[in-house]
Amino acid sequence: MGLKKFFIKKKANLSALPVVGPLSIWILLFVLMPLAVIFIISFLGRDITGSIIPSFSLDNYRLLFSEGSEYAKAILRSILFAFATNVACLIIGYPMAYWIVKHGGRFKPLLLLLVIVPSWSCYIVRIYALKQLVGYPGILNNFFLKIHLLASPVEILYTAPAVVLGLIYIWLPFMVLPVYASLEGINPALLEASVDLGATPAARFLTVTLPLSKGGIFGGTILTFIPAFGDWLVPLLMGGNKVWMAGNFIAHYFIVIGDLPLGSSMTVFLTAAIVLMIYLCIKLGGEEAIERIL
Amino acid sequence: MKFRKKGKVLLVIAIIGYLFLWGPIIVLGVFSFSSDSYGTRWLSFTAKWYGELFQTSAIMDAVIRSLIIASVTVLAATAIGTLAGYGLYKYKFSGRRVLRTSILLPITVPYIVMAGALLVYFTRVVRIPLGYPAIIVAHISFSAPLAVFITLGRMQRIDWSLEEASIDLGANRLTTWIKVTIPLLLPAIFSSAVLIFPWSFNDFTITYFVAGVGTSTLPLYLFSMLQYSLKPVLINGISLIFILLPTIAILVISSLQRESKKTR
Amino acid sequence: MKNCDTVFCVELKNLVKKFTDTVAVDHVNLEVHQGKVFSLLGPSGCGKTTTLRIIAGLETADEGEVLIDGKVVNSIPPYRRNCNLVFQNLALFPHMTVEENIAYGLERRRTPKNEIVKKVGKMLELMHLAGMEKRYPSQISGGQQQRIALARSLVLEPKILLLDEPLASLDRKIRKDLQVELRRIQKEVGITFFYVTHDQKVALAISDTIAVMRAGRLDQVAPPEEIYDTPKTKFIADFMGATNIFSGRAKRMGDGDVVLESESGPKIVALNKKEIPAKKITGISVHPERITVSPGDTKSRAENSYKGKIAEMIYQGDFVETKILLLDSEDNKQIVVHMNPKLSQKTRFSIGRTVLIQWNKENSNILQD
Repeated sequence: MGLKKFFIKKKANLSALPVVGPLSIWILLFVLMPLAVIFIISFLGRDITGSIIPSFSLDNYRLLFSEGSEYAKAILRSILFAFATNVACLIIGYPMAYWIVKHGGRFKPLLLLLVIVPSWSCYIVRIYALKQLVGYPGILNNFFLKIHLLASPVEILYTAPAVVLGLIYIWLPFMVLPVYASLEGINPALLEASVDLGATPAARFLTVTLPLSKGGIFGGTILTFIPAFGDWLVPLLMGGNKVWMAGNFIAHYFIVIGDLPLGSSMTVFLTAAIVLMIYLCIKLGGEEAIERIL
Repeated sequence: MKFRKKGKVLLVIAIIGYLFLWGPIIVLGVFSFSSDSYGTRWLSFTAKWYGELFQTSAIMDAVIRSLIIASVTVLAATAIGTLAGYGLYKYKFSGRRVLRTSILLPITVPYIVMAGALLVYFTRVVRIPLGYPAIIVAHISFSAPLAVFITLGRMQRIDWSLEEASIDLGANRLTTWIKVTIPLLLPAIFSSAVLIFPWSFNDFTITYFVAGVGTSTLPLYLFSMLQYSLKPVLINGISLIFILLPTIAILVISSLQRESKKTR
Repeated sequence: MKNCDTVFCVELKNLVKKFTDTVAVDHVNLEVHQGKVFSLLGPSGCGKTTTLRIIAGLETADEGEVLIDGKVVNSIPPYRRNCNLVFQNLALFPHMTVEENIAYGLERRRTPKNEIVKKVGKMLELMHLAGMEKRYPSQISGGQQQRIALARSLVLEPKILLLDEPLASLDRKIRKDLQVELRRIQKEVGITFFYVTHDQKVALAISDTIAVMRAGRLDQVAPPEEIYDTPKTKFIADFMGATNIFSGRAKRMGDGDVVLESESGPKIVALNKKEIPAKKITGISVHPERITVSPGDTKSRAENSYKGKIAEMIYQGDFVETKILLLDSEDNKQIVVHMNPKLSQKTRFSIGRTVLIQWNKENSNILQD
């Protein structure tokens, strides 16, 4: 207990300054300020061309949710896609993590690396690889056509399922890791105790393993749902221009049209939705959910 | 009996998971040696695409740009991130909680949000020129928090009485930092660099927003190749390199770690 | 009367240290003589480690003075004090070899290279560790690490060596060996040791003087035998294993003895060698091994002789811990006696048997707190 005391001083503001100062300034200048600017702009007016009029207005938000708004639809679509991605990642990722913990033995580090490595490679490259494999012209189509298993090519690209497939492919590793960490952290004595107290393997899983890996599940949810929710590259590449998600609208308004007020309000709304999601995950999954994502 | 069946189901799902993660990349790598210029059909073996790849100066320029950006980002982000991680762990100061929460933002908020915000900020508020300066500034904002968390994780496992021992044995603060603290933090500094470099090298969204014209990094260049379907097979080749490099890096690092564990 | 010219190795004057909710060190005064082993003994949380850290300079005192070699050192930073600390967890630098660890402090002092080599070599020899120079701390045993930590501090030839329970984490056998070793090394180098521990056996074995600390205050400062034989307070008596404690009021008897009318009933006679005023006496303690048990139920005329019934017998190897219910007691007082196993076999003592217990008045220790 006393070990840290010499270095942790109650009012060490000055001695902390040289070490935490640079990052604090950086975060203030290049994270907080930009977000604040976006927030302010989203409440400013705009003329027909999308230029800023410096007066307070809720028009942007009104426009976002006017009837038949494509953005509102895209938000709903994003929620649906992210949810589907999250569930699929859980269905594949949880058993994967469980299998590594249980049967990985001395290969555990290697098996984990094999999950992580793909996520270290370029995002574009990975989606491209998936496209080359399942698209048309694509490797699988070509192969099946050649051996006459298919009469005509199957095109799954540029559809909603293709987008979800891409999202799962990209974000799956981020479900496996936190779940693995929380499963690995379970004291084996607890599992033995539950068996000793008469639990069947199924009961043991439901009453001990699953509740104790809750933090990992919600951590994994934060790490898969949220980035999937805000993704724009996967829908762009896997969905063509047909299946836009919320992120595509933001990119479109910022980069193609240059309508900052509308783009900002979209961004603010997306962020608000995500903050709500994180809050829910932490509420349900407890502090461990945050620990697992770091 | 039932138990064994459950084990099989697990194994099957695990195999499917690994196949799903690795299949497309491996197949793509194999087909990068096919003479088909779409890279989707196996015609005959050839390595000529790799030759073409290395002779396409636009690609090589993009690689160099990406390397420059990633290197500067690693140096700056690791330095300020490690320092801040040390400070966050060691000192109580006003605003500590605010800082801890703020550095979560770049990690949790979707890229598109931060990318949009930074674009507006750079062009309308602080006027940082798009291109190298904007990309590097943006990359540091994202990767310094990573270094902070890695440092914090490591700090929890360090025995801090070592610093006191050093002071007790007659070393002042600065010597203690150089002789004891930094060596203890080296693994964290190293893992930060190892994590940040590929992140910066591979980043697309942020770079895409703040790159402006003419500073096309490798991911950006790949994207434009994809958009205009220029010789897809070349991308196959690049993909293989993209996967091989981090894999080799990881294998080397983990074997180094195993070595150092043995000697310790 | 104390000689005013005496310069103590370490002297604490009215030392006070408060943490937010507790007073860790509460007006502590103590003197440590040059070249001796001084132990600060107490349960965890009594403020002993804080006291040690204040002497080392890793903690600052709120009030009072710390003197090393007669000089006030309160405002001198730890790296300029002529005292060194052996940490509880040793704090050996994992990234340095044994040799580098020991040389660390000398390098800070810019000692010439050849002298460092000589001194480190001498230390390794003193510690019987020659040949270990190039190993890393994780490659040597716990006992060896202990000695390296000791060497790392001793090589600086401090005025005083502070030790924060460095033996606590070792198993019993190695701990015993190292106690002996520690005493030998201390004798050889002649450096004053200030040893903090919660283990009364270690303190008794290695110290010249023991100070018992409770809740930030010193209860008694005395040589080991005195602490053991004549603990001053109930707390120390209990801490030293004198588990038989009687509370009550004392009366003076003619011949310098006192008699305690214990709350449990029996009257207990004690020899009042120090002539403590009867008013100050609050109880009496007796060590379990100083009580004799004999068969039979006729009350003898000897002092402190009582009838009892054996309630429990636990075999402990070198003795049998026997709990005996006092028959004259009003509150079912039990006396703990350490019996010779041979004796208990011969006399066939068993649970439920009525016996006679007795101890001499010299073994009644007077408590005052």
